Amino acid sequence: MFVRPDNWNKMSPLERRKARLDAWQDAPVQFASPEAEANYKERITRLRKIYDMQPHDRPIADPFMGANEYVARRKGIQGKDMVYNHEKLREPLLEFHRDFQPDVSVGMLPYPGKSWDLLDFKLYVWGGQKLPDNLVIQAVEGEYMRPDEYKDFIADPTAFWLKQYLPRAYSALGPLSMLADFPRISESVDTIDLLVPFGLPPFQEMLRTMMEAGNELMKVLGAVGQTMGMVTAEGFPGMGLNIVKTPFDYLGDTLRGTKGILMDMYRRPNDLLAACEAYVPVLVKSIVGASDRTNAPAALYVLHKGADAFMSQEQFEKFYWPTWKQVMLALYEEGITSYLFIEGSYNNRLENLAEMPEKSLVCHFDKTDMRRVKEVLSDKFIIAGNVPASLMSAGSVDEVRAYCDDLVGLFAGTPAYIMAHGCYFENTTDEKLRAFMDSVKN
Amino acid sequence: MSQKLIDAITGMREEDALAITNELLDSGVAPVDILNACKEAMEVIGKRFESGESFIPELMLAGEMMSAISDVLKPRMAEEAATEKLGKIVVGTVQGDIHDIAKDIVSFMLDLNGFEVTDLGVDVPPAKFVEAVKQTGARIVGLSGFLTLAFDPMKETVAALKSAGLTDVKVMIGGGQIDENIRQYTGADAYGKDAMAAVAIAKSWA
Ligand code: B12
Repeated sequence: MFVRPDNWNKMSPLERRKARLDAWQDAPVQFASPEAEANYKERITRLRKIYDMQPHDRPIADPFMGANEYVARRKGIQGKDMVYNHEKLREPLLEFHRDFQPDVSVGMLPYPGKSWDLLDFKLYVWGGQKLPDNLVIQAVEGEYMRPDEYKDFIADPTAFWLKQYLPRAYSALGPLSMLADFPRISESVDTIDLLVPFGLPPFQEMLRTMMEAGNELMKVLGAVGQTMGMVTAEGFPGMGLNIVKTPFDYLGDTLRGTKGILMDMYRRPNDLLAACEAYVPVLVKSIVGASDRTNAPAALYVLHKGADAFMSQEQFEKFYWPTWKQVMLALYEEGITSYLFIEGSYNNRLENLAEMPEKSLVCHFDKTDMRRVKEVLSDKFIIAGNVPASLMSAGSVDEVRAYCDDLVGLFAGTPAYIMAHGCYFENTTDEKLRAFMDSVKN
Repeated sequence: MSQKLIDAITGMREEDALAITNELLDSGVAPVDILNACKEAMEVIGKRFESGESFIPELMLAGEMMSAISDVLKPRMAEEAATEKLGKIVVGTVQGDIHDIAKDIVSFMLDLNGFEVTDLGVDVPPAKFVEAVKQTGARIVGLSGFLTLAFDPMKETVAALKSAGLTDVKVMIGGGQIDENIRQYTGADAYGKDAMAAVAIAKSWA
């Protein structure tokens, strides 16, 4: 929980950022040993200097975005276990941290398989359900908002989500469509409209299912929370991130589908722009709330459909960038750093990112030309990336090391660089992962 | 008159393109001539994609316009006149992978550049590639994949073609995390960075 200091309203964005980073850095931890405590302090101090873009002894290597599956798989954990058997991941995760001593912890994603089963979740398939046991989860694209429903979304995104989207995304939540239109609950008799669904058997059945799914979720969160607590206690800080996406990607990934949204740029550009606009206040409020609750100093964007291949620069600047920038600027005002996980290549967009204020971003690249990144962005923002998954999967130890050495050399004179992968991978070897992690140390 | 159609298609005016097609038909223009105008328009769009002026949305929309127009034309046309093709290619996204946007673009560009493309869709098992190559007599296979999990199915597909005796068939691969490392790993003959590379490689093999 982040508690705002009394003079919050008088603080500048960078002062607020400092307050959030202080709270994250000073959060109390029950350490497993004095040695763990010393290691944690050393790590989080270095990490803080990176966040602050202040001089520090060496870059850090963060295996989280690349190796999080491998960490479990190297001990024989299957995809299915990551969705259903969260306790099983504890030992492999602890062992990994003990053996590899990473600069930042490798988190574990709490996929709630049993809750998904209960709710009949449609957006994904997963190991032990429709996917083979060795796989984790896979998104299945669909059209969850018809073109004629843009107007509903624009008028009231939350109501659309509650009454139209959720019933489609989770079969068990169908009865949510019976809910009242809340802003009309006003006069004495309106209580009737508010309550009627709650008196009806299908709705009650849904509520019971939701409670059961909630109970299952709590077990998962308990198991994962305990594991991550132990990892922290043994001396490994995390980056402190909450996940978010851009307005365009929420609409494209979840509501309209890739093809749908790309066609909408021609078929209904005004609807699309209005829907992106409608998203801005919703996202800002939600991320500020999450950052306060979790005491995390940064928001992690997984970036999908604004990459070079997806649209022209003109389209990017019309449809993708403006509302995304508004969200990032609003978060910046609130002292929250935007951590961008930039999938694919972003060679054409670097100048757009450069418009953002200093220290507002961590830019983590996949296929982008890191030489241009250095030139255009490295004096303003923290840079991370971009060791290829192909190299981790099929390259040699020497090739991995050479690639990493090149990156360390490239960013040697810049304020803050994080060695990281461009994309995750299932398979590599311990030797290659060590080569990656050692590259920042000597 | 057919210049109007070309302009509508290349100008991404979907409704106009369909309306003009109907006007042309009503005024007695032969369906074959309309189809030729469409092909000319597609070439313009293909060139713009190559030069980085057009992107996925334009290719998708062009594809949509083409299929809407051919729905109108087909019932009115005798057998489509056979055109000289550069060669046959079998294309697909490999087993376990369902990313098809890039593969569709690769198919589109190969087709535009004179190849006869058999597109097997997504999540295609090795045996299906083998079967399609045998059936079509294609001498080139294009494998697309975006997942790290696609590396092994690609390798298996290359091996399956070899062990089916199709040793003179050349395989090119591409997509997201695919690069020269993965070409070596899978034993494919070439790796292509984008759809333009796919065309260049295929032409060099045709
Ligand atoms: C869009 C997308 C999706 C969409 C796909 C929609 C569709 N109908 O295709 C959806 C949402 C369905 C999806 C699902 C998943 N995805 Co996805 N997806 C992407 C994304 C954002 C873009 C891919 C894309 O289409 N790019 C556009 C193309 C046109 O760009 P391009 O690569 O430049 O295209 C050229 C080349 O690739 C080349 N090319 C392509 N094929 C071929 C073939 C030949 C022969 C040649 C020569 C050239 C060639 O030519 C193309 C045209 O010029 C990427 C991230 C990224 N930016 O790469 C992740 C990404 C590929 N996805 C990923 C993942 C993990 C998944 C899921 C597992 C997600 C999940 N956890 O649910 C599922 C898997 C589903 C499955 N079984 O395949 C990961 C893969 C990571 C990994 N280690 O494997 C990526 C890299 C994201 C990430 N960074 O984590 N995804």
